[in-house]
Amino acid sequence: MRYRLPGASTPATWFHKPVQTLINRAERLRNNLMALPPGLYLLLFFAAPSLMMLFASFRYPGEYGGLAPWYYVEDEQFSLDFTLENWLRLFESSIYLGLLFKSLGYALLTTLICTLMAYPLALMIARSNKRFRDLLLLLVILPFWSNFLVRIYAWMIIFSPQGALTIGLNHVTAALGIEPISLMFSSTAVITCLVYVHLPFMILPLYANLEKHDSRLLDAAQDLGANRFQCFWLITWPQSLPGIYAGAILVFIPSLGIFAIPDLLGGTNGIMIGNVIKQQFVESRDWPFGSVLSLVLTGITLLLVLLAAKLGRTAGTDNGK
Amino acid sequence: MKKLLCCFVLCLSQFALADKTLNLFNWNDYIAEETVARFEAQCGCKVVQDYFSATEEMMAKLLAGGGDYDVVIPTQNAVEALIKQGFLLPLDKTKLSNIGNTAAGYMNKAYDPGNVYSLPYAFTTTLVGYNENKIAELGIDPADWSIIFDPAVLAKIKGKVTVMDDAEELFGAALKYLGYSINDNNEKHLKEAQAVILKAKPYWAAFNSSSYIKELTVGNIWVAHGYSSDMFQARADAAEAGRDFSINFVLPKQGAVLALDNMVIPKKARDPELAHMFINFMMDPQNAAELTTIVGTGNPNAAATPFIDEDILKITAIFPTPELQAKLETVSARNAKERRLANKLWTEIKVR
Amino acid sequence: MANKRPSKALLSAGILVYLFLYIPLAVVVIFSFNDSKLNAEWVGFTWKWYEKLIHNDSILRAAGNSLIIAIISAAMATVLGTLAGLAIHRGRQKWLPALVLGPIAMPDILIGVSLLLMFILLNVSLGMVSIILAHVSFCIGFVALAVQSRLAGMDQSLIEAARDLGASPWQSFRLISLPLLMPGIIAGAMMAFTLSIDDFVITFFTAGVGSSTLPLEIYSMVKIAVTPEVNAVSTLLMLVTLTLITALSKISPTVLRQ
Repeated sequence: MRYRLPGASTPATWFHKPVQTLINRAERLRNNLMALPPGLYLLLFFAAPSLMMLFASFRYPGEYGGLAPWYYVEDEQFSLDFTLENWLRLFESSIYLGLLFKSLGYALLTTLICTLMAYPLALMIARSNKRFRDLLLLLVILPFWSNFLVRIYAWMIIFSPQGALTIGLNHVTAALGIEPISLMFSSTAVITCLVYVHLPFMILPLYANLEKHDSRLLDAAQDLGANRFQCFWLITWPQSLPGIYAGAILVFIPSLGIFAIPDLLGGTNGIMIGNVIKQQFVESRDWPFGSVLSLVLTGITLLLVLLAAKLGRTAGTDNGK
Repeated sequence: MKKLLCCFVLCLSQFALADKTLNLFNWNDYIAEETVARFEAQCGCKVVQDYFSATEEMMAKLLAGGGDYDVVIPTQNAVEALIKQGFLLPLDKTKLSNIGNTAAGYMNKAYDPGNVYSLPYAFTTTLVGYNENKIAELGIDPADWSIIFDPAVLAKIKGKVTVMDDAEELFGAALKYLGYSINDNNEKHLKEAQAVILKAKPYWAAFNSSSYIKELTVGNIWVAHGYSSDMFQARADAAEAGRDFSINFVLPKQGAVLALDNMVIPKKARDPELAHMFINFMMDPQNAAELTTIVGTGNPNAAATPFIDEDILKITAIFPTPELQAKLETVSARNAKERRLANKLWTEIKVR
Repeated sequence: MANKRPSKALLSAGILVYLFLYIPLAVVVIFSFNDSKLNAEWVGFTWKWYEKLIHNDSILRAAGNSLIIAIISAAMATVLGTLAGLAIHRGRQKWLPALVLGPIAMPDILIGVSLLLMFILLNVSLGMVSIILAHVSFCIGFVALAVQSRLAGMDQSLIEAARDLGASPWQSFRLISLPLLMPGIIAGAMMAFTLSIDDFVITFFTAGVGSSTLPLEIYSMVKIAVTPEVNAVSTLLMLVTLTLITALSKISPTVLRQ
């Protein structure tokens, strides 16, 4: 946006040029001034902590926790005290990478189930009468306004071994002659809850996408003899891909880092990478190793965001054709 | 609307900034509500409690800058570590008129000679609490660590067992099960203990240090590894709720961990004056007795004995007889290297 | 797509998903009236958990902390986020979007632990201040997004017209841009407020002595003393948000659609 001199639509060039430069410069200054406070704030409270974490991942843990000094002076000799030990520990045995893959698997499964559940609902809302759409959408968002922990707690009650669901299911298993099952403290419980907590993140972008579809395309396809499945598979589905990508990223990334759900519902076998990171910081007092794990998770997140951005762009251009 | 909101905020902020507050950092379920209410009435202040369920958790929180609690209740080995770091305020004995009530046997211990920084609060043993009816039905011996470690025994109670989410306690129990000392820092022995734990892990429902009282009472689990005081509460709760089973607890015959918990004041405490008042209050015979009669802890306060029910004094898992006491061990402070090894083994257990 | 009616199969699938969304919350509400401390099976109706709640100082204190933190951090995030949104819209600083949107993309736990690390290394004592600083850092992005999307849909010619008519840059901003931006700013502020009052993970790592918030209090209740008081708190919390939303949608019907 360029500002014109007030009241001067055709000024003399000798006058216009230097003044315009001045104005441009003032404008740039103002832009910078505007970007400065949020920029500085985030440099200090977002970028700097991440860098400190990188720094911390090469240091030794302190004797009682925290970090050991990063240098020491001996015989007036100044030496640095950094180590690769924390990073090597990651590869020392396969268990950490295994856990990482397991967490990725949980997050992927969560995303898939969310897509499967969100699609019919989003489609239903998009195809229902305009008058009801806002209400139907509001009904999706409402549970989301209750606190995250309340939603987890709800599942703790439902999955409780004394709860109606487990007792009912175990009547069935008893009738079938199989061992009674336990829902609480299992990966099933963790994934159900992950889906529950993240479902609106998939429904909303998907709806936003589906709502924009041109229904005349479907009419035309039907007129040309396409059946309902063909209509969906050849027209609605490919057009909805950007919505799915957007939803997938909103579901996948947060579910990857979660620790409260496995903590409360996971039992001995359902833990995820977030739990181990939390453990290093608030129990084991091993910040350097916690930093290593956090940085690995950061790396994965960044990769995913870039991938999603790329996928979204190609899908977008495909649609444009 | 705006005015209403302002009023609301003002009201609430008054709550948040109540002038006199005792910030207490305590184990969960480790003080009776009645006792707290009485102290609040007496000092005209508010007690704000934060809870921890493992020594490591407490140390991490304190060392991560959370040092400004007024009173903390650490176990003896943590007291030693906190003293070494210069984290604690020396107690002003002139403000502690009830100090003489504590039995001499619990004073002047090696972790704090002369009780410069700490005074005993209560003691517990770490043992096994169980659903009496189920365990009798299945014919399992509850007085043996095999109940939580031996896969052959565990097969009968799969998914109905929880163990503590606490490296110190779980390794302690596994070491005892193997016949070693709780304070064994031999890497080979620790790895053996790790192997025992890993073999038993698939049979456990969860690592749980905080809500097993409820899980036992409801009947969700049948066997829990935990503190004697918590099992006492579970037993009382189950009886009170009229469950169709009863909870009991027993010290395993291989021996177990004895934890002596202490009251200390951090250097950064916001109100050391009030902290001293609280410590003195807790050493009053009647208040100390409540720790046993309501919470179910062992009691180092000699003057409190007359106020304690005869029946509780007879429970050997809470007040161990001298011969049982010989089998109990207290955890001593680990150095940084030993702690790192233990934590590494523990993380591996969690991850696998 | 109004003329394309949802088929019966679609309708029933949709209803099933709604049930999945609502049954757990219904369970929480129902059990808040259950006359049993153990919360396992239905015993009888009672109001006593609500009565207990009113006298529970630590819950009230935590609610107060939550509210104070949310108001201050929403205010700070709104100012900073609006500036960021304006700056991003002009697009001069290529580095700014990454910095502003970064905290939105990162899993909460990473923001939490890295801030914890920094606060400790810089000797910032943990408490209300550290929580507010942390909340602002992840709320800025959401405000910036809301403001920016509003700017993208704004008619630039209005400002140019104002400038042509002799308004100073400040005047044109205050009299034209700001009123037009207001819905975006309000939506952003609301979002920041809700995110802050609802946050658990980042608060978990940055809270200190006596600065426990409502979500932290609920976490410790769920973890330790699982009594129906948790259900009562949750039910009240849902009721409060429901009233707030209804009130807001009456005041400004467009806000919800942001």
